[in-house]
Amino acid sequence: MVGLSLGEKHFIKGGIDQNIRSDGRKRDSYRPIFVETGVIPQANGSARVRMGATEVIASVKAELGRPSALHPDKGKVAIFVDCSAVAEPTFEGRGGEELSAELSVALERCLLGGTSGAGAGIDLTSLIVAEGKICWDLYIDSLVISSDGNLLDALAAAIKAALANTAIPKVNISAAASGDEQPEVDISDEEFLQFDTSAVPVIITLTQVGRHYIVDATSEEESHMSSAVSISVNRKGHICGLTKRGGEGLDPSVVSDMISVAQHLSELLMSRLDSEISAAEAEGGDEEL
Amino acid sequence: MEFVNPEGLRLDGRRPMEMRQLRAEIGAVARADGSAVFEMGNTKVIAAVYGPREVQNKSQQSNDQALVRCEYTMANFSTGDRKRKPKGDRRSTEISLVIRQTMEACILTHLMPRSQIDIYVQVLQADGGTRSACINAATLALADAGIPMRDLVTSCSAGYLNSTPLLDLNYLEDSAGGADVTVGFLPKLDRVTLLQMDAKLPVDIVENVMQLAIEGCKAIATYIREVLLENTKQLEYRRGL
Repeated sequence: MVGLSLGEKHFIKGGIDQNIRSDGRKRDSYRPIFVETGVIPQANGSARVRMGATEVIASVKAELGRPSALHPDKGKVAIFVDCSAVAEPTFEGRGGEELSAELSVALERCLLGGTSGAGAGIDLTSLIVAEGKICWDLYIDSLVISSDGNLLDALAAAIKAALANTAIPKVNISAAASGDEQPEVDISDEEFLQFDTSAVPVIITLTQVGRHYIVDATSEEESHMSSAVSISVNRKGHICGLTKRGGEGLDPSVVSDMISVAQHLSELLMSRLDSEISAAEAEGGDEEL
Repeated sequence: MEFVNPEGLRLDGRRPMEMRQLRAEIGAVARADGSAVFEMGNTKVIAAVYGPREVQNKSQQSNDQALVRCEYTMANFSTGDRKRKPKGDRRSTEISLVIRQTMEACILTHLMPRSQIDIYVQVLQADGGTRSACINAATLALADAGIPMRDLVTSCSAGYLNSTPLLDLNYLEDSAGGADVTVGFLPKLDRVTLLQMDAKLPVDIVENVMQLAIEGCKAIATYIREVLLENTKQLEYRRGL
């Protein structure tokens, strides 16, 4: 990306101080959000989210697998992010690996809870088919097509929409097996179960520029942030995960203030996303009729 | 397995000489100098062009022409089974090379010395013919970026199953074990710029199948030209002309 001149930097910083950003937004407004679901027909669920010029695609694929020995009553979820070279020339070859890894880990932390699986935004027990033997493995793959800042929020929104679009086939266990035998399974082509996404959180990233923090930063604004805190909040207003990026230290009171701001903003974002997702799903449903 | 039934219809209901539905969109990636999405049936690819810009690796800089680079990647979710490694595998490297050579022959590189043009192609959905869809998308993206070219490059594939030449194979037909001929064509100059074939074909059939693919390329070229004209009209309209 072309660097910013000193004059441009002062302009952006001054604007944020006065609560008017370069595109006219206030410090706490999001860019227009567009959601489209069902964009990848061969996946179990998929969605494409656009926040301003940032565009990401998320897809959910479900495969049958064995649950881990430590948690025989839980399915497994893995989240992968791939930053495409189409978005930024610097992502060519292995250039995007670091950012992809950072985003994948941040998303897993916010959506999947601790190593024991407790507190996960996605209910892992709903993925079990036969306890201890067969469970659903969900692979959530995301692709960043266009990058203009605030990738984490857009990815979380895309994953939420993709999960809302996910239909897991019903599995009928044919033979009752005992001990270590793998029971026979019959995957239904007709019946599907819609995934329950009421507990899936959203991620709000607050970027500190100068003395104020803004939400939904563009890549220009992100390029001279001092630090950024990404907070994942669920429908009940509970914090599901927290990530701080950026070198500069933050006063603890600032962090608490950011958390309360994020909680307040999450209600707006959550309701906006929900209405966009249901509109997208309704559109998809109409096309099928 | 029957790929052409007695009534002459293929697995997806097409006739042997019928191409899949084409759809193109210009300017999908805002940050890129030029970009396009190209769909051939269920195969969907997105191409972005960055350039001409300063050469990143000075040792590769050329004093009398532009450096053209290309990267082909497939998304994790593009194929039926999840792909674990989106890039760096041999097939991706080969296709990157093929696309680069095809586009390089067509771009007027001598007009932009000491510069670099990057073409990135990402496959979002793969259903056969990804190579061709990528070349078509790259042509559109280069045109969107305003990079001077000798001619549009279009590409199409053709095969031979159940003793019938088939145009524009999808994934099932491609993996059937019959021949798969991919042709890259310059319509105005009437020249073949890319020709690849796998599996076996009798010598007298090769000519037919190649000709069929060339006809497909010409049809795609007509479509691409329409899309570019429509895009220019939109730009004129927005500029108030």
